[in-house]
Amino acid sequence: MPWFLHLALRQLFPPGKRFPAFATVSILGVGLGVASLLVVQTVMNGFGEEHRLRIRESFGDCVIVGAAPIANPDALIAKLRLDKEVDGATAYAEGPGLLRRGDFSGVAGVRGIDPADKRQPARQYVTAGKFDDLDDGRVILGYGLARNLRAQVGDRIELWSPAMAERAEKGKAPLPAELEVCAIVRTGFNEVDDRAALIPLRRFREIWSLGPRAHGVILRLKNPAQAAATAGRLGVGHPDLRFVPWQDIKKNFLEAIRFEKTMLFFLMFIITLVASFSIGSTLFSAVIRRSREIGVLVSLGSGRWQLVGLFGVQGLLIGALGTALGFVLTWVMLCFRENILGSINAVFGDGDMVANVYQFSKVPLHYDVSDFVIAAAFTLLTTTVAGLVPALWAAGRKPSEAMRDA
Amino acid sequence: MPDVVLQARGLAKAFVAPAGRLPVLVDISIEVCAGESVSIRGSSGSGKTTLLQQLGGLDEPDAGKVGVFAHGGGMVPPRKTLGRGIGFVFQNYQLMPELTALENVALAARIAGVDAGPAESAARELLAQVGLIDRLDHLPSRLSGGECQRVAIARALVNKPSVILADEPTGNLDERTGVEIMDLLLGVVAGRGAALVLVTHSREFAERATRRFVLSGGVLSPA
Repeated sequence: MPWFLHLALRQLFPPGKRFPAFATVSILGVGLGVASLLVVQTVMNGFGEEHRLRIRESFGDCVIVGAAPIANPDALIAKLRLDKEVDGATAYAEGPGLLRRGDFSGVAGVRGIDPADKRQPARQYVTAGKFDDLDDGRVILGYGLARNLRAQVGDRIELWSPAMAERAEKGKAPLPAELEVCAIVRTGFNEVDDRAALIPLRRFREIWSLGPRAHGVILRLKNPAQAAATAGRLGVGHPDLRFVPWQDIKKNFLEAIRFEKTMLFFLMFIITLVASFSIGSTLFSAVIRRSREIGVLVSLGSGRWQLVGLFGVQGLLIGALGTALGFVLTWVMLCFRENILGSINAVFGDGDMVANVYQFSKVPLHYDVSDFVIAAAFTLLTTTVAGLVPALWAAGRKPSEAMRDA
Repeated sequence: MPDVVLQARGLAKAFVAPAGRLPVLVDISIEVCAGESVSIRGSSGSGKTTLLQQLGGLDEPDAGKVGVFAHGGGMVPPRKTLGRGIGFVFQNYQLMPELTALENVALAARIAGVDAGPAESAARELLAQVGLIDRLDHLPSRLSGGECQRVAIARALVNKPSVILADEPTGNLDERTGVEIMDLLLGVVAGRGAALVLVTHSREFAERATRRFVLSGGVLSPA
């Protein structure tokens, strides 16, 4: 170990002191800055990832829609399945419906799906009942919708569609479809849980008088990340249809989250920057306090760059240890994020912000290695610079002046 | 003629004061040979420390030249041989407060480029020579003033310099300890064949040097 590194370690962590004030406060300051930066980034990543996942689960990797319902969806699906990039294709139909159970009613986003599709995303979110029980006489409800209707598995509900109103206009008595609740799903995405009602596509066509048509086709791709390119290629030869990759569905919303994340990164980075300035200021004080020692080191033969190394490495060490502490604090804070959020809500009485604004029942998170690498690099850079400035000043002084001024 | 290890020719230094330039050193020339001890006495503010800093390369003179004999390198400017050709002993010891006695001495050797193992061996040997073998792991805060100065002397000698520059080495010590330190300094330096330049305001200690000078009005003259 070079002598200046050994001396730097001793100056930062003097023997006999368990928590030396300068090192402890500096490392804690940097650690808190890094942790706040990473907690925000990781939670924002979580929001983004959850939204992307929900979009892909709801609309597939690519959704095909047209100005009018697709007349022959089966032929289109058969053709698309021949493409090497397509992993699966299924028709769907959707529309608003009025649900009623006794004295309770609610508006639902009813979707007609293929019950035999083993890769239906809703299968993994079933909290009561069985997905495979879905048939023409049954319905699957979202958790929030079922709660609003006071409905449980086995209960019967009535469903009205806009097509029934048409029938009423034509003088026919509209009779609601009677369906038995066979399962309840809870995705954690409130927009889905509060509105979703799933019935077989065949039954949907019947209730909505859709005939053999479908509102769209959902594609699953082998490489979802390349959905935009694949959608563009598949769309050639279908001028009447729009092939929309999942990235373009709710694009503005995803962009808003990405922008929010970037802005929060800069805001949180300022915290780390302030901590680095504090380190620079404290190191400056330490350098002035150690002026005589600097003069002595020169009298012992120390070179200019070794002096720079002695104080510069202290900034680097504080940055490195602060970053490591920040990583640990991030992990701990994220592990207890629900408790922390609950405490904040209890104190400030803001209610369930996550559910109301972001549509999730829990705070989502997604660890991104690049966030950690960027945070570490920025922190090490700023703390090292904070240490180098006083170090360069110290190394530039005449030893006789340094010894006289101390 | 004995080997000259320190040579100064026409040294001059002045400080800028509000009243104008204040000459501190005026045309000072001196030669110090291996094995001899030279004392420079003067009142407070006479420029003793300034002269020592010019001789040791800690400050640049306004005029004149200083050369120090470096092993295998002939006469070189003192700045180029700090720590190796020149060793310093200061009035306030100037030990690194976070390092033990052993580490303080070894540090000088490490700075001079010696590996950790040999540096520690040399430091241990010197500390034994100055009577501190049982204080190796003590921090300066746990050593007495006399013990700290012993460590400082060991540190000055660890790189086998040809010249030791001592600035009031007994200034912070009581009379008895001061005598002990002077005995040690003169004995150890002479035993190693190095030269000693001693700056002091004590007539008694100055008398023990082989050659004696007085610095007054910026002029160095034989006592």
